[in-house]
Amino acid sequence: MSASQSAVRSRAEAVKVSRTFDWLILFTLFFVVLGGYHIHYMLTGGDWDFWTDWKDRRLWVTVAPIVSITFPAAVQACLWWRYRLPFGAVVCVLGLLLGEWVNRYLNFWGWTYFPVNFCFPSNLMPGAIVLDVILMLGGSVTLTAVVGGLAYGLLFYPGNWPVIAPLHVPVEYNGMMMTLADLQGYHYVRTGTPEYIRMVEKGTLRTFGKDVAPVSAFFSGFVSIIIYFLWHFFGKWFAQTTFISSDDL
Amino acid sequence: MKLIKDKVAKLSFVALLITVTAAMFYVPTASAHGEKSQAAFMRMRTIHWFDMNWSKEEVAVNDTMTISGKFFVFQGWPETVDKPEISFLNVGIPGPVFIRAGSWVGGQLVPRSVSLELGETYEFKVLLKARRPGDWHVHSMMNVQGGGPIIGPGKWVTITGSMKDFVNPVTTLTGETINLETYNLENTYFWHALWYALGLAWLFYWARKPMFVPRSIAVEAGKADSLITSTDKKVALAFAVGTLVIVATSMGATNEKYPITTPLQAGLLRGMKPIEMPARTISVKVDDATYRVPGRAMQMTLTITNNGDSAVRLGEFNTAGVRFLDPAVSVDESGYPDDLLAEEGLTVSDNSPLAPGQSRTVQVTASDAAWEVYRLADLIYDPDSRFAGLLFFYDEAGNRQMITVDAPLIPSFI
Ligand SMILES: [Cu+2]
Repeated sequence: MSASQSAVRSRAEAVKVSRTFDWLILFTLFFVVLGGYHIHYMLTGGDWDFWTDWKDRRLWVTVAPIVSITFPAAVQACLWWRYRLPFGAVVCVLGLLLGEWVNRYLNFWGWTYFPVNFCFPSNLMPGAIVLDVILMLGGSVTLTAVVGGLAYGLLFYPGNWPVIAPLHVPVEYNGMMMTLADLQGYHYVRTGTPEYIRMVEKGTLRTFGKDVAPVSAFFSGFVSIIIYFLWHFFGKWFAQTTFISSDDL
Repeated sequence: MKLIKDKVAKLSFVALLITVTAAMFYVPTASAHGEKSQAAFMRMRTIHWFDMNWSKEEVAVNDTMTISGKFFVFQGWPETVDKPEISFLNVGIPGPVFIRAGSWVGGQLVPRSVSLELGETYEFKVLLKARRPGDWHVHSMMNVQGGGPIIGPGKWVTITGSMKDFVNPVTTLTGETINLETYNLENTYFWHALWYALGLAWLFYWARKPMFVPRSIAVEAGKADSLITSTDKKVALAFAVGTLVIVATSMGATNEKYPITTPLQAGLLRGMKPIEMPARTISVKVDDATYRVPGRAMQMTLTITNNGDSAVRLGEFNTAGVRFLDPAVSVDESGYPDDLLAEEGLTVSDNSPLAPGQSRTVQVTASDAAWEVYRLADLIYDPDSRFAGLLFFYDEAGNRQMITVDAPLIPSFI
């Protein structure tokens, strides 16, 4: 850190440059994560996140946390171990949700005219905040994976319930009972998404009667633990600097 | 080496941009104009739509119209397409320009997938409520799992008015009447905004302090622990506890506000009631069939035997929604789409009434530009070059009988 080799001449200038870097990096990180995470989530969570008539008590609850804990785990690994910055999960979810809202609002609604109350994204923020706080306070991958991963799975359904519950109010429609969400799926014609590809309320949790959501959430939490470990190590590996040789710098 | 690295860097940047763009610009399929590109054999040998009726050609926003008719599930269903054991009655429209207010097969409401039997004929009806103004091509459509969409004939329908006026009132079982078009929207925005704001608050709590360069230096110097202050810890704890409290209280409040909720409804509907078709008293044998490419005409030699008790005449050949009529016998009065109707497209070498007990061999020609326009002629390039369709015979009393034909087709290029 000798000033004579540096492009900046004073400490104040160094601070200013460093701040500029901060914002540049954060901005880039935000959009890189937005792009990668968004496409990943669309490919893995896809229709479960697109349509309210896919947001059920079994599969949506199970799938969404498992496939969405990936990027938060990886970005946490980089930001925490290299910078002690505990916002990896939140910055991922902020990026994802922005990308999703832009897509849903401009394309699903603006271009194709599906009502926003039918194609809004799922809320992943509660789990992300808790995940970041646990990593920060515990400073341990294992603790974050086990407690954080489980919490991430468990918080998903209740975190979305205030938005989803009104759509699970039943209606009688031409002699059949369905929920308002089912009715949205029926009313707002999707030629490319016939009803039979909808994967909802399938599985072997029948013995739990009507309390399948907590069971699904627990299961999702357990798998999230494993996925968290896996992606945390991906993140750590990607955050290495050993493959940048010093003569390039 | 440096050059390659730069190139890789550049390419990855381009790839990244494409990724971001691809995800943000994803639009769910809305177009329904795959009708002509679908393989001809799919349209000729799967679902035969007939007696189609579009109740209106122009409809105002909030008004309704119906598409109704019958479909015959062809017994000679192609091997390459999955049987319609799980199928969904759909409409081919460009996105939700109409809402599907109801759909029925054999009188049964079919909001979910159904199981259909080969060789049976079903009655169907789709009730549509106009939502978005414009000229739209409205098709009947059957999605078959493992087979894809099977598009029926389409007709242009004009919706007038303004989408702003569209309402979709629904009365729930809890006795409330809501407008499903905008229902729950403010609530959705509110919760998403609240959580997004909390996320941003967490991010900016950290971003207001120096981030990457100084912190990286500190971590590398072994001073990582000094980067998290006790205030940070208190703030973090507040965020976590706050999150749990908001989740718990909002969930409790929601359950209080919506005490009655049910799971999403799913599952296959079985036992669709087919139509009882009159007993077939006419038998048709296809002696040969050729398609003349230059004449855009299909020629069949048919041996027709009348085992009934009334003389019959051939009035119509219907395949893939294209109707070839012999005007002397059959005239369309339903306003069938012009491009799919060959009013004088059917010529029969001898179409005098065929008396009961008699048999006759005739040359039948079905010619119309529709063969090319609707790319039905492409079936001569299919791996299994067969044609199929429906023949409609009329007896003296005007009763109609439907006979299916399914036979090899030989193309003729001269
Ligand atoms: Cu069309």
